[in-house]
Parts: sequence; C-alpha cells; structure tokens
Amino acid sequence: MKAQAVDPVELAIFQSAVHSIAEEMGAALRRTALSPNIKERRDYSCAVFDGRGRAIAMGDHMPVHLGSMPMSVQAAIEAIDFAPGDMAILNDPYAGGTHLPDITMVLPVFVKGENAPAFYVANRAHHADVGGKFAGSMGPATTIDDEGIRIAPTRIVRSGMVDRKVLDWILGSVRTPEERAGDLDAQMGACRVGEQRVLQLVAKYGMEKLAAWGEELLDYSERLVRAELKKMQAGDFDADDWLDDDGVSDEPIRIAVRLKIDPAAEAIDVDFAGSSLQVAGAVNAVRAITLSACFYVLRCLLGEDAPATEGILRPLTLRAPEGSIVNARPPAAVAGGNVETSQRIVDVLMRALAKAVPERVPAASAGTMTNVTIGGVDPRTGEAFAYYETAAGGMGARPGLDGISGVHTHMTNSLNTPVEALEYAYPFRVRRYRYRYGSGGDGKFRGGDGLVREIELLADAEVTLLADRRLFTPYGLKGGEDGAPGKAVVMKVGNDQAIEMAGKCSVPCEKGDVLMIETPGGGGWGYRGMKWP
Amino acid sequence: MRIAIDTGGTFTDCVCLVDGKLRVKKIFSSPANPSRAVLEGVRQLGGAENVEVRHGTTVGTNTMLERSGARVAFVTTAGFEDTIAIGRQARARLYDWFAPAPVCLVEKELRFGVPERVSAEGEILREPTDEDLAALVEQVKASGAEAVAISLLFSFANPKTERRVEAALIGLGIPVSVSHRILPEFREYERASTTVVNAYLAPRMRSFLLVLEESISPGNVGSRVDIMQSSGGIVAVRVAAEEPVRTVLSGPAGGVVGACRMAQWAGFDKIIGFDMGGTSTDVFVANATTGAQLTRESTLAGVPIAVPMLDIHTAGAGGGSLARFDAGGMLHVGPESAGADPGPICFGRGERATVTDANFVLGRLDAESFLGGGVELDAERTRRLMNEQKGTLATVEEFAAGMVRVVETQMEKAIRVISVERGHDPRDFTLVAFGGGGPLHACSLAAALRIPRVLVPAMPGALSAVGILLADTVRDFSRTVMLPGAAMESIDGIFGELEKQGAEEFAAEGLSGVAERSVDLRYRGQGFELNVALDAKKPERSIQAFHELHRQRYGFADVARPVEIVNVRVRMIAASEPYEPERQAVVAGDGSSGLTAKRDVWFEGGWRATQLYKREMLRPGDEIVGPAMITEYTAATLVPPGSVAHVDALGNLVIDVRQEIASNEATA
Repeated sequence: MKAQAVDPVELAIFQSAVHSIAEEMGAALRRTALSPNIKERRDYSCAVFDGRGRAIAMGDHMPVHLGSMPMSVQAAIEAIDFAPGDMAILNDPYAGGTHLPDITMVLPVFVKGENAPAFYVANRAHHADVGGKFAGSMGPATTIDDEGIRIAPTRIVRSGMVDRKVLDWILGSVRTPEERAGDLDAQMGACRVGEQRVLQLVAKYGMEKLAAWGEELLDYSERLVRAELKKMQAGDFDADDWLDDDGVSDEPIRIAVRLKIDPAAEAIDVDFAGSSLQVAGAVNAVRAITLSACFYVLRCLLGEDAPATEGILRPLTLRAPEGSIVNARPPAAVAGGNVETSQRIVDVLMRALAKAVPERVPAASAGTMTNVTIGGVDPRTGEAFAYYETAAGGMGARPGLDGISGVHTHMTNSLNTPVEALEYAYPFRVRRYRYRYGSGGDGKFRGGDGLVREIELLADAEVTLLADRRLFTPYGLKGGEDGAPGKAVVMKVGNDQAIEMAGKCSVPCEKGDVLMIETPGGGGWGYRGMKWP
Repeated sequence: MRIAIDTGGTFTDCVCLVDGKLRVKKIFSSPANPSRAVLEGVRQLGGAENVEVRHGTTVGTNTMLERSGARVAFVTTAGFEDTIAIGRQARARLYDWFAPAPVCLVEKELRFGVPERVSAEGEILREPTDEDLAALVEQVKASGAEAVAISLLFSFANPKTERRVEAALIGLGIPVSVSHRILPEFREYERASTTVVNAYLAPRMRSFLLVLEESISPGNVGSRVDIMQSSGGIVAVRVAAEEPVRTVLSGPAGGVVGACRMAQWAGFDKIIGFDMGGTSTDVFVANATTGAQLTRESTLAGVPIAVPMLDIHTAGAGGGSLARFDAGGMLHVGPESAGADPGPICFGRGERATVTDANFVLGRLDAESFLGGGVELDAERTRRLMNEQKGTLATVEEFAAGMVRVVETQMEKAIRVISVERGHDPRDFTLVAFGGGGPLHACSLAAALRIPRVLVPAMPGALSAVGILLADTVRDFSRTVMLPGAAMESIDGIFGELEKQGAEEFAAEGLSGVAERSVDLRYRGQGFELNVALDAKKPERSIQAFHELHRQRYGFADVARPVEIVNVRVRMIAASEPYEPERQAVVAGDGSSGLTAKRDVWFEGGWRATQLYKREMLRPGDEIVGPAMITEYTAATLVPPGSVAHVDALGNLVIDVRQEIASNEATA
C-alpha cells in the first residue's frame, strides 16, 4: 500500500462522480426494464471498473452482487479481445457468473486514440426466467444443465451492432422471450449511459488525472479496511454453521471458516477448509458468491459512506476448497447458492468475527430468504399465474440494540408485495400478516421477530418452497438465545389437518387450502441481566 | 385584501397585494406560539375587514421532525395490526449492522384489530358485530389514545364497515382519521401510514388552525383563512384542520410556487430550483407555467406519505455542514451540522469548520452586509481554528476551497438525481437559486451541470410568501377502481361523484372552480402507475396517451398489452386573482451605481480582485461581468470570472454562466 498521493478533496469529488455514474446506470435500467423483478423488486446492480477491470464504484443495489461483479468483468476481459463498440454478455456461474438468472453485460469504454479500454462499465440483473426444467429457473434441479441457458462470456454487440445470432439463441432458450428481449435491451442501454458519463469525465479531467484518482480510490478503500484490521486482536477465530439439507437428501451441510487476523500486517485470511463437499441439490455456491459474502462483511465494518471498491478486498486472502459447498465445480446446480447459501456464509463469517470483535457484531439474522413460488390457473381469468416472493425474518440482536423485526437482512433487500396488490393480481386471500411474536431470541438485547403470513388459495395450485433454518436455528451470541426456526404448514380445506412442509419442497394444494409461513427470528445478544455497557 | 404569511425558523415573511403592487414585511417568528407572528404580520400590513389571510405553516413539519404528535390508536382488519410497523420489509441502510429500527408512529399497545373483511371486489365477507365494536371502543378508550386512525383492508372498494367503525369511535371525542376519506387508494401500508400521519398531526394542527382563525375573524369582518398544502395548492383552513397530512410541506411548497412564478415572469419555462439552507438543501424540477412535478411517494422523517406532494428532493448538506477527514484520508462535508447552536466558527461560538466558515475565509461573505451587518464575524479565530483542522492540506484556503468543492459535488449529485436520472437534460434548464446559500454556489453548480443560466429572483427573502399569495386553490380527490382499460367509458359516474364532492366543498367556501379529470394507468402486471389526463369527449384516447407517455418515460410501449385503470383522480382548481408584476424601464448600465467596494475573493485556483455590489442599488439594465459579488440582506450572489449578470426589468439577476471548456467530447 502506498502513502496518500492525491489530495483529499479531489479524491472525494472523484468518488462522488464515479458513484453517481453507477447510480445513474441503475436509474436507467430501472426505468427501461420490462419485468417487475428488475423494476419493482430492484434485483440488479451496476458498477464502474478501471482499465484493468478493478471495480472503482458500485451502486447501492444488491449486496450479493458486490464481490462477484468484478469476476464477471475479469472473465469477459480474458475471453474477449474487445474493440470499440463491443459489449459482452454472460451468466455462466463457472465463468464469472453466480447463478443462471443473473445475466451480466460488460461494456469496454475506449477513449479516442487509445487501443485498450480505459474503463469498463457493467450491470447485472435477475431475469424472471432463463429456461431450464423449471419455470422461473429457480427450481430443485440437480445439475446446472437443467437450470437454464448457460452463457459463457460472449460478444453480443460488435461495432455497435447487436449480434442477432447470439440474441436469438438466448431468446430461443427461455420461456418469455419478449420480456427477456426488453430487459436485455434495458441492460445494454444502461451500459451506454455509463459509457457516456465516463467519457464526460474523461473530457473534463483527462485520462492522466482519472487514472491517478482511480488508483488512489482503490488505495483509499484499502486503507479504510486496514485501519479497521489494525484495531483488532491478533489470532485465529473459528466458526461453523449448517444448512439444514439440500432438498435431495436429509444430510445437513456444514460451512466452516477460520479467520486469521493479523493486525500487524493489517491483513485477514479467510479459510473455508472443513466445509462440506458440493451437494446434489441446488444450494451450491460458486466462489464468486463466497467472495461477495466476504466483501459484504468487510464493507459493513466500515462507515456507511465508505465506497464499495475492489480495494476493500486487498487485505483479504480467500481460501475456498474446490469442489466444496463454497466453491462448487460443474455440473453442480447452483440456483439456491445465491439466495440461501450466501446468507449462511455471512452467518459463519460473522460468528467467527464476533470472537475477534465481540461488541461490533450482531447475532445471526433469519438466515433464509424463504423463497415462495405458487403457480396455477386463475379462475377469474382462466390464465396461468406464477407468483414468487421472498419473506423477511428477524434481524439478529446487536450489542446495544434489539434486532429489527420482519426485515430483510444481509445479502438481499427486496420489497414485499402489498396484500391489496396481491389479491388483485392472484387468486389468493391473505388471512394474516403479522409479526411472529416471541420468535426472536431472548437476551440482554432481543433478536428481531420473524413474520407470519397466511395465504388462502382460491384456486388449485402448486406451492414450492426454498427455505432453510428449520433444524439449525439462528444463533445467539454472548449468552443470547437462538431465534425460533422457520416453519411452513398447509391447513387442508374441509378438515383440521395441518401438513407441515419441508424447507425445500414442492406440493400440490387445493382451492381452500391455507398456506401458513412462519419465518425465523433473529438470535439474541448477551444473557439476560448482563451488565451493559 | 389578500395577505400571505410564511413562517420560517427565524423570520416570518408577510406579503400583500395592494392596488396591483406587492408589499413585503419581515418580522421575527414566534416559535412558542406560532399564531402570534401571523397576527402581527396581518396587523402590520394593515389587514382589516374582508382580509383573506393565506398561511404557509411549519407546525406540521415540526411536529413530524420533533416527533411531538399525538398518541395514535391504529385500527385495522384483525390479523393485520402490525402492517403499520412492517412496512415494506426492506432496510434503509444496506451495510449498517447498527441501523436503528425504522420509525413507527403507533406503539404496539395501540394497534387494534376488527374482525371484518372486504374482498378486492368490494364484497363484505365478514362484518363486526355491535358487541365487537363496543369492545373496540372500550379498548381504545382505555389505551389513552389522543387520536385514532382507521384503515381497513379494501375500505376504498367498500367503505361501509370503515364507516361503522368510525361511527362507533367518534363518540370518544378525539379526532378520528379514516382511510377511505384521507386516501381511498390501494396499497394498505401507504394508505394506513398516510392516515396515521393525519391522526398524529390532528390534535395539534386543529387547535393551532382554529385559534388562528378565531383570532383573525372577529376583528376582521368577512375575512377568511386559507392554508398552503404540500401540493402547492391553497385549501380552506377547515379542510386543513381535517386533513393536516396535506400540509406537512406547506412552507417549502410556497417556495416552489414562488420560484415558478418568478421564472415565468422572467421568461424561463424549464427550471431547476435550488434552495440551500443551513442544514439541508432542497432541489426540484419544474415547468414554470404548469408547475412542479408532484409525487405520491414522499417520505417525511422516515414515514411514507402518499397524498400528492411537490416532488422536492433534499440533500443533507447546507451552510452549517461540518467538515471531517476519515481514516482513509478523504474529506467529508456533512451530514453532521453545527446548526444554530453552536453555529459556524465565524459567528463566535462554533469550533468546527462549516461551509459558511469556508465561504468566509474565501472572502465570499460580506461582513458589512451579512444579515444587515448585525452579526460580528471573527476572521482571526476562523482562520486559526480552520488551520488546526486542515489535515494534510497545505493552506487554510485550500481547505476552505476543498470544502466548497466537496459540498458542491453533493449538490450536483442531488440535482442529477432529479434531472438526469429522470430523463431530463440540465442544459435545457435555468437554475433558480434562493435560500441563504443558493445564490453563492449557484454559478459554480450550473457550470458543473452545464446549466447555461442562473436566475436569482428579486425579493429572494419573500419568495415563499409570494408563492403562497399567488397560488390557486386546489383540492385533490381520488379512488382506486382497478378496472380493465376497456372500462374507460364506464367510469364517468365515479368522476361525477368525485366532482360533486369537490363542487360542494368549494361552494361551502364561496368558491367556484373547474375540475380536471385524470386516470392512473399501467400495463397489467406492473407495480407502478402513470397519470394521464382524461379527454372528456374521447376517454379511450387516454389509453393512447398512456402508451405514448410510457414510451417517453421508459423508452418503450406495447400497444398490444392489456392496460389497467388503477386510480381515478379529480383535481378541483379555483384560480387565484391574476397578478402581473410591474416592469421597470431597462437602461443599459454597468452597475456602478451599486458598486460599494473592491476586495480579493477566492475563485477556483486563487485570489481575484473582485467588485462588490449592493443589490438594492442596482438598476434594470445593469450588466456586471465576473468576478463580482452582489450582496443583499440574507444572501450574496457570486458571479465567477467570465460569467455575466444582468438585472432584468423585474429586478431579477439573470446570469449567463461561463461553461467549463468541454473539448474532445466525442471520443471513441
């Protein structure tokens, strides 16, 4: 790490300028995309990279994309010899992607008279369907080949012209080609917005200054992380936690980590040795997701206004054994790695970190996104419907503060669908939407409570659940109790039967059945009666 | 006689229209008893019989910001008591493990469920019994609530049960706010939140407004009192007392309307407003003729409010914002502010560098004219303390100039959010600068955003009051219908109902107005709507207009896709009495009549010999070439080298901003 070379004012101005480029790309994408998942749930991210493909700014979008976007850009740079007017597309989890629904576009920004790109801009969006065996491409597949279309880094735009063959191949492989075409268009447009803004910066300040500022911004982020590491105690800190199962077998899946914190070197080594091997079910995480989880945890240790650049990762060494649950190899299925396993990796990292800096780390939050898919035919219109939503849970208690109830935590932050919107759109009647009182772990500071949602089906429907934290509950810290486990029950119409649903399953239901979902509470922090502060 | 009175933190501005001319008075505010300053303003302007008093109030805003509203009982459908707290299940700060819990104005013990249900189609599936309601009344009574908000699921589709609940609770003698009247629109959280804010404000606003009306009316026969709404329209005091949620941005709304009127008279249509105050800065985009954009997705003090409000975006930085260096060596300015106490270093009590101190060190505050010379500015102390805090920067000037650049970058970002991110090109706009700091930073900001022109309106101190004086009287009515687009012909009856309601309300106030019909449309399956005007003769044309607006706003349209009618809207408008400002003769001049001094002021890169002018001594037609500084009572306008300021026939400063040289723009 170098000493500071650029003045603190120019640094602040540059940081604000590149960050606003990422935000503007996001605004353009949100405005022009077609599908609700991008427009309303805002499941996308945008970022700006320097000429070497290092992230210098990322919008405040989805945390799970943080550390993985740079790997997409690196993969595109390695695979494609970019020329001006080109754009690349990819989603292959084994070549820069995370799971197939997340499609990334990369645009190299060329400055007049230069042969190599001076910057890159990129964005990633979660598409509602990318083909495969299951509608929505998030189903219980056991190999990546059944999860949807796999796009290795490919040139989709050449000299400003869209390559029809590539686009047609993609659209020919998905269930809703028109919506996909619109969303992909929006992603390309957002890249161009980023390109224009970057070129305006070049015109205003010149490449020499921008290059120096870019370096300084990376160094700056690195300094922020190192300053935090320097304050910690030296040592090895071990932790583990489990996923209940993979939906195929009942075998629990272990994620283990050892943090080696070296305050003298201002460095941290993260080793996942001891984690389970990759599994048959679709909860495998590729390395990019594991890196995102590390990025997220480091980012949370910094102040709220610290920029998310790749410099944050410099003091970190990641060791993720190949072929394990945290660094899966083909042909493992990975759809749920992004939504479920990513949360557990964060839980494990925080559990280890809590041993090093106990008063800076909350207890475990709900630890599952509780993905619910309901499909059938709407009797009011005679048309097919497909509903997908994630349900929030309790936040883990913080040293000094209770956890927040019914809120999305860590790697996701999507909005709920209003009850009134839901009943207009689907043949459902919501019977209850409340806090799940008492589900947060007790302690000096209480974990946040989960939610209860009861949906009466007004049509026969297939209900699919992808959820966790049934057996292994969200941990408390320092004597705080664990949060309550999640639960889902189908109350059958016409009798008093209540059938408990497994965390990862798909069941046929009848008109009049009531689906009741209870999400986990957060862990408590500190034993009751503990002295604080 | 019509009088407008705008209450600010320090001053209350009073404006009246007499014989076609505006008269302005500035008096001190009376925060402890807000109506006192209003009455004093009326007295000083000579208000007597038939006086029409219009007021922009901060009582609602302050009640929200200070969290000093009523203890509200929230009554909803049983099973959904917590929806008011759950909100949209998302967190505001992504990377902050220690973020405080989001604000909920209703405590857990004050949330009550009614055993009832209405379907999306408006069918009553379950009704509460009289015993249920009697039990509810007892519970609410025992809870010690000071106001009640009722918001049942789908009450806008069939308000019968909600009315029964209201009838049961009204006997408690505390204000009751009912969702199907406050906001009869779908999305239960936003409707409930809006209703709760109304209840939260009701007791305090009612007593304030009724005291105000009672103290004005007796001494002034035939007088009336009206209140500015957050939407930029005026409303009768009795309506404001019933629906105080519509007044939470009463004061700033006056500024927006005032800025629009000033720009319109000066001949500029597309404007970006820039109002920089002590702790925050408001920016907005407006068309001077048709007014500023409205939003139904506002948040105030962390609480969503879904009634129409002017779309004002606030950045957390202003003159009082403090500078700090972080562990990585970057300079930050704000959001922490020195506030009024201790205030900036140069006022004598503060000890940490603020933006105001930076401007002072750079020669951009004129000690003589600053607040009429009433405040002593301490140069020696400011330089000494700033020198101690300048970090790795070489000089006090570099530190100060750096702070100014950083804070201006934040302002630039705020303006980008409301312009570029929403598809507007700043080059098509005029930047209208007001507030204490607006005119000081406007030219630099305009150059950075490539805005060609800055307008510093005449009477900047009374802009809000002028806006309130000249605003139209407006009432907004709406209802969610959720019908297929083909049903466009069939909603005439609903429009008729809403218009009848509006006409009756206006008639009760002795007003007559025109009704504007519009509909919120969306493609089926979308989660957001676009508002389009309704063509009364050919309602189906609205669908076409929707496709076009969608294309313009979002870059695509799909005429084959089914369209849904989500909400029906009626806006009743009674135009205010027309006013045309007096234009003075324009005589070419160089401003020498107002030249008061010459001294060094820091502009990008160094000190420049700069002429100082007193604004009130300038004449229409004067042209002043930068570097120059034009000072007045509450603000100073900085004209950078190369920019040229003109005084127009209305006394406005119109500055042609020298643009940054943008060479080799078309690269690649």
